[in-house]
Amino acid sequence: MRLQKSSLWSVVSTLVAGALLASACTGATATPAATEVPANTQSPANTQAPANTPAPADTVAPDPTAGPDFSGSATITFVQEPDNLNPLYTTMWFSALTTQFWLKGVWSFDDQSQPYPELAAEIPSAENGGVSEDGQTITIRLNPDVTWSDGEPLTADDFVFTYDMVMSDQNIVLSRAPYEDYVTSVEAADPQTVVVHMNSSYAAWLTTLFTVVLPKHILEPVFAAEGTLDNAEWNRAPTVGVGPFVFTEWEPQSHMIFTANATWIRPPKLEQIVVRMSPDDAAQEAAILAGDTQIGAFLDASQVARLEADGTVQVAGTPGGFDESWFLNVNPDTAHPAMLDVNVRMALALATDRFTIVQDLLDAEINPVNATFWDNTPGYATETLEPYPYDPAEAARLLDAAGWVDSNGDGTRDKDGVELVLRYITNERELRKNVQAVVQQEWAALGIGTELVNHSADIFWNDFTNGGPQAKGEYDIAQYSSSPLGPPDPEASDGWRCNQIANADKPDGANWQGYCNPDLDALFDQQAVTADPTARKAIYKDIQQVMYDDVIYIGMWKDPDLWSIHETLHNVRLSGPTPFWNAAEWTSDK
Amino acid sequence: MIVYIVRRLLQAVPQLVIISIVLFALMQAIGDPISTLGARVPPRPEEKARLRRMLGLDQPAYMQYVVWLIGNDWLKLDMDGDGVRETPGPRRGILRGDLGNSLVTRQPVVTMIAERLPNTLLLMVTAEVVIIVFSLLIGVYSAIKRYTPVDNVITAGAFVGFSMPVFWLALMMMYLFAVNFKRWGLPYLPTIGMYDPAVGQTLGEVVRHMVMPVATLSIISVAGYSRYVRASMIEVLHQDYIRTARAKGVREWLVVYRHALKNASLPFVTLIGLDIPFFLAGAVVTEQIFGWPGMGRMFIDHTNRSDFPVLMGILMFIALAVVVVQLLTDVTYSFLDPRIRLN
Repeated sequence: MRLQKSSLWSVVSTLVAGALLASACTGATATPAATEVPANTQSPANTQAPANTPAPADTVAPDPTAGPDFSGSATITFVQEPDNLNPLYTTMWFSALTTQFWLKGVWSFDDQSQPYPELAAEIPSAENGGVSEDGQTITIRLNPDVTWSDGEPLTADDFVFTYDMVMSDQNIVLSRAPYEDYVTSVEAADPQTVVVHMNSSYAAWLTTLFTVVLPKHILEPVFAAEGTLDNAEWNRAPTVGVGPFVFTEWEPQSHMIFTANATWIRPPKLEQIVVRMSPDDAAQEAAILAGDTQIGAFLDASQVARLEADGTVQVAGTPGGFDESWFLNVNPDTAHPAMLDVNVRMALALATDRFTIVQDLLDAEINPVNATFWDNTPGYATETLEPYPYDPAEAARLLDAAGWVDSNGDGTRDKDGVELVLRYITNERELRKNVQAVVQQEWAALGIGTELVNHSADIFWNDFTNGGPQAKGEYDIAQYSSSPLGPPDPEASDGWRCNQIANADKPDGANWQGYCNPDLDALFDQQAVTADPTARKAIYKDIQQVMYDDVIYIGMWKDPDLWSIHETLHNVRLSGPTPFWNAAEWTSDK
Repeated sequence: MIVYIVRRLLQAVPQLVIISIVLFALMQAIGDPISTLGARVPPRPEEKARLRRMLGLDQPAYMQYVVWLIGNDWLKLDMDGDGVRETPGPRRGILRGDLGNSLVTRQPVVTMIAERLPNTLLLMVTAEVVIIVFSLLIGVYSAIKRYTPVDNVITAGAFVGFSMPVFWLALMMMYLFAVNFKRWGLPYLPTIGMYDPAVGQTLGEVVRHMVMPVATLSIISVAGYSRYVRASMIEVLHQDYIRTARAKGVREWLVVYRHALKNASLPFVTLIGLDIPFFLAGAVVTEQIFGWPGMGRMFIDHTNRSDFPVLMGILMFIALAVVVVQLLTDVTYSFLDPRIRLN
């Protein structure tokens, strides 16, 4: 048997034609993904919401006599594609961003990080009876005007269903927080009233409860038929939602389209929003400069100057709760003995010129040096605390006084036969490697030796059981950008609680620094059940003072989320917790 | 010939089994899919433990391989963590056509491959056609005109082209033809994507968006392949049967294209044969930079998330393609050179 020329050509041409045809046919197939709302939509001090917080003035009330009048289109680029659109199945920030278009929560946070009602009629408070006296029952009254985008009423049953789905053992949801730990039941007192019963007064309820809700009328039949929501079509094509826009199309790795939802209580001005995926940072920058995208998300600080120089783009930073941080290992079982001495830790802070680092490697205006873990969490920064200064002379004096001197003349300080060589770990990001190199030089001048280690992200974050270097305490200084669990809520206490120290007996412990201070534990316990924001802020002031004095955390720089906004897009007011909160107000020249 | 093909296909079965075992073993080293889940704040340890149990990642590697191979619908799983296995597993295994579900998107791997494959084939086949045509034209011309100034210029150009890193070439083209051409008021090309969603997936849009990725893929390959064609042609043009053909008075273009090129193209066919399976894999860097929704980008995205069911699906698919295409290449040899007998 021998292939004839004609058949060879027909095979080749069929292949090409098939590929063209198949490609042309894939245009309208939508496979959306949704995001799980970040655990991060917490508001800091606002864990008890102000009574009767009104909707922001600029969210114009609909004029029932006027028909919706949508025009224009906004284009946004994401460098990471959401993996799922059902918030139960994703923890990606990029997925959470989209929910402000199509799946609002009970409330959102404006550009001052203040909560305002979306699906709820008002923010629950002690004054309006929404928060019980013991703080263990939250009553959410729904806005009766809100309906699902298909016209079905939004009722308390949707919330009960959402809770049931989060807790079901048949659904492999990514996170059950905070329901698993704090919520004992959710009930529908009436169609417009959701009552959440908790096992204790839980300060972070405002930023974690019902940041999203699932449409029971769509998903309950799916759960009944398939026994799980894991593979529901709605997860990737949620054509029914509740927000100013409706999901329309998801072409994987290409784009998502959300179109105006005329049924939303505050109808949007734009006709559609297109989210395009551009996985390469440099290519996204080119797309921004070419005007192919009007909002660029998750920019790098190094791009700011180039983008602003273009003249058509404005760069905005929002406080997402993240700060670039040094976490110091003070676990007596794993840390270098010098790390157990607070004076040595203070010397490390004083020996590091972080001010010049941010000036040389970043943008000192966007990324100033931070003093505490909460500097970028609106409302919780302790303004009286200043970053540790750069004072190498004082650092040397502290080290000398602590007994760390170069007794053997090898250029590195030592004590009792132990050389002062500290293991400084981070991930493989180039910027962090550069910082490591600078710090190594600065410390070497003071006789502090360093072992620089860079781990890939997955290994860096591995837990104790899987040999994670942080969890196992195989470091002295660990650097990365971190935030509270759900900014703007400040809760992050597990990272420093005595009973959370990771070890063989407690492999899932979240305290990887091995720090234990009963006074701090008591303050953390107190803040967790303090619903009054003013009182909670005062407790956080004390918490930060303790950590500052003990030098277990050294701030490197504030790490705001950076965005580019093109001059053709208007009324964009981004917030840290729910960045696209006012998307309904956007207008576009395109 | 049929016996030969059947024998080769049968040999492929143990080959693919061994490949799958090696790949699965390597997958154990790519990282922990539960460590970040793509979130900026890593999940809480107790959530990680629950997810490992529910997704079966707490099982030993050999058991995970068995489930990947033959499914777990014959097993019961402990979904609620009470130590009692009560829920039947959902997987049927690759031997029954179930490549599993992505740990990240929860979609069936088969669906994900089916969504990306046409886009990648469109890009890669188009690029390969451009590569073949230009490599042959440039290579043959260069061979005929060897050591002339034109040949020297082509040679220099080929070395420049071959030396360019693909990411650099892609970004330079993007800045020149998309960003700067627009600024200068010239006709410009789009930066990212396969088409502008606002316009829709029209033929014109797709072609406009293909120009730069295809050029990126082609320039470097043409630079390399044209050298193979040139060398091979020069060798053949010196052979006796070519001299004989010319002596018989056969026209020069017939000598070059019918007599010489056919024999000179054997090494070139080998190269193309090696390329074809990788059409399916896509072009990782090019797809990543130009935001082309193809297999290469999917591979890198899911590698970053340690999503091994997707990686295994893609790699096994490519392994199968390599086996089949190598067989087809061998068959093509016998078509091009009657002296080769496969039996």
